[in-house]
Amino acid sequence: MVNSNTGALGIIFPNSYDSLVPELVNVRLMASIPFASRYRLIDFILSSMTHCDIDNISVMVNNNYHSLMDHLDSGREWDLVRKNGGLHIFPPFAEKTSKPYTGRVGALASILDFLKDQKEKYVVMTDTNVVVNFDFSAMIKAHIESGADVTIAYNEQKLPDALIKNQSNDKGYYYTLDIENGRVKKIYVNAEDTGIQNFSLNIYVIERELLIDLINTAFVRGQEYFERDVLLPHLNKLNVQAYKYDGYVARICDIKSYFDENMKLLDDYNLDALFSGSPIYTKIRDDNPTRYIEGAKVQNVMVADGCIIEGDVENSILFRGVKIAKGAKVRNCVLMQGTEIEAGANVEYLITDKNVTITSGKEMKGTDTFPVYISKFQTV
Amino acid sequence: MAKEMIAMLLAGGQGSRLYALTQKLAKPAVPFGGKYRIIDFPLSNCVNSGIDTVGILTQYQPLVLNEYIGNGQPWDLDRLHGGVHVLPPYQKASGSDWYKGTANAIYQNISFIERYDPQYVIILSGDQICKQDYSEFLKFHKEKGAEFSVAVMEVPWEEAPRFGLMVADESGRITEFQEKPKNPKSNLASMGIYIFNWDILKKYLEEDEADPESENDFGNNIIPNLLRDNRKMYAYRFSGYWKDVGTISSLWEANMEVLDPEHSGINLFDEDWKIYSRNSGMTGHKINAGAIVENSMITDGCRIKGCVKHSILFAGVKVEKGAVIEDAVIMGGSVIKSGAVVKHCIVAENVTIGENAVVGAMPSEDENGVATIGAGITIGDNAVIGPKAMVDKNVEGGEEQW
Repeated sequence: MVNSNTGALGIIFPNSYDSLVPELVNVRLMASIPFASRYRLIDFILSSMTHCDIDNISVMVNNNYHSLMDHLDSGREWDLVRKNGGLHIFPPFAEKTSKPYTGRVGALASILDFLKDQKEKYVVMTDTNVVVNFDFSAMIKAHIESGADVTIAYNEQKLPDALIKNQSNDKGYYYTLDIENGRVKKIYVNAEDTGIQNFSLNIYVIERELLIDLINTAFVRGQEYFERDVLLPHLNKLNVQAYKYDGYVARICDIKSYFDENMKLLDDYNLDALFSGSPIYTKIRDDNPTRYIEGAKVQNVMVADGCIIEGDVENSILFRGVKIAKGAKVRNCVLMQGTEIEAGANVEYLITDKNVTITSGKEMKGTDTFPVYISKFQTV
Repeated sequence: MAKEMIAMLLAGGQGSRLYALTQKLAKPAVPFGGKYRIIDFPLSNCVNSGIDTVGILTQYQPLVLNEYIGNGQPWDLDRLHGGVHVLPPYQKASGSDWYKGTANAIYQNISFIERYDPQYVIILSGDQICKQDYSEFLKFHKEKGAEFSVAVMEVPWEEAPRFGLMVADESGRITEFQEKPKNPKSNLASMGIYIFNWDILKKYLEEDEADPESENDFGNNIIPNLLRDNRKMYAYRFSGYWKDVGTISSLWEANMEVLDPEHSGINLFDEDWKIYSRNSGMTGHKINAGAIVENSMITDGCRIKGCVKHSILFAGVKVEKGAVIEDAVIMGGSVIKSGAVVKHCIVAENVTIGENAVVGAMPSEDENGVATIGAGITIGDNAVIGPKAMVDKNVEGGEEQW
């Protein structure tokens, strides 16, 4: 199987749903948003794929992707330095007529030649705003057994308020499924139904040849969205199967859900649910272990390496290299890499982006329903 | 392509004085400082000093060490030309031999060194905790026009008889070498780190090998022979943190010193001189409500529900509710069950300490032993392990070992 790897190649759309978290993607994209004290969102999908022997992975970056290129580097941390396959990063091809893609069709159309050259029989496509420790092998197996043309993974959950309430046009499309005996009968775009829905995870399995055909046709017609323009109108012709996912799912739909999904991991049950599967890999920073100095007081926290803690911290997520000085008080915060809380500062319900400094004695408080976000390199 | 200097790292030591910790692994592979192994220090020093070719001489229980080093990527030592190479004894057409001594280990790898055609060779030891810039050392060696240089530390005169001592004149030129003398003439202790001009080293290694009486040891044979021939030998004074961690108590002490970088001088928080290691890949550590953590170092994968004071916890250590840990070094993957009291001790990797068991004790007037639990051991519920104990077999529930 030297040239076929294991039968599936991966395609990741790292910019999907960027518009839901404008604060966090100011200097990055969805895939490189830090999450769970030492990871970035893409780590979960990438690690899940490599654990399922999907080792030919294309990342369709669109804009703001420097942080992601830096994070992924050669792909070594995910074991993606391969002679056959490995990691490919595809930026939009710069021509006079080219522009960043608006949907998957444009992105995929730009790599059709690449796709034609590959040997894998199947393609797995995902976004990165959904945090899962996903078993792609099981889904591919279900896809093959059902004889489907396309399989869509979904979970059962209520639609997040953030999506329903956000009526602006730039929120991106999200999809709910009407399922009959496992087959998708209808796809609803931006539904506002209450109660538990079959909420698409935007994880797809499809045969490579079929994908090429569908994209070819759609692109010629000027269509942009795979779900809205390719799948939805052809549900009677295409056998689209639904694949229910029961594992732990964290969806990033806005800054509030970003805050909440981080905080949820302080519950051991959730932490184990997300991490008890295969290990999640990330870029190594070679930090020393975190040091708790005399006088530090910590309760209910998740902390990465490289931190120095002298102050009083409760119910918080600390990323790598955070410093909490003596007498500082931190409650219900998500503090990203390199944040410094100086002596005597008092902070609550904050999300600090990388390398934020809260100078000594300052008081900054958000609330339970409205955490305050402080952008990269700001000093308060 | 010739290299200016390559490093040969002596990592074959059994570390018999670490007994329970080195039953299944060589001393350089012993975990240290929360997420490192001892060998991370010389390897990181090499890379940070611009040395990109390192031969690691292994002999005793090399499995863990070999796997740990792998292709050398964590230390940036996966190179096209050079990089890190593990060099166990091997069979030659003329027969095969274990490494008979430190000098013989290098002798048997002369052909490895010659592939890089180096001007200088630095000999390092795999059982020390030290952050040292070898490029400064080389600069000294070149400035002195030396043929051999040895890194030395000033030690208190009363401790000098425990060391190999270099007697040097004002210019630093070595005039005499005393191995653990009763009446020391110098307080400059050899750190066991040498720079040789390669042509000189090769000549003396070959001569030493031809001498059937020789112990094939640098300290006992090579250095005295260099002195005999009045070679240009210099002592390079090093004043940073340096510790031989060859005993349980010195290993424990060095770990505790990591907790107090302001006074001990071993600062692992130095962005400009990082110590690299192979990563555990575990998620961030978690401290639950009700836990107490004071003056400690904790790393990825730990789950703390009990009380941890003045201790170092390695990756994936679990401390259950009601457990108390103080002045302890707990290595990766160990579990301390509820109600257990673990003090002033070293607990190796993947140990389980049962409920309400007692391991070690804080030092009292006539007792300051460091209890040691070997890797993979299970200590049963309510068992008691005394402060001098060296445990290398499972201890049943309720039993005592002193």
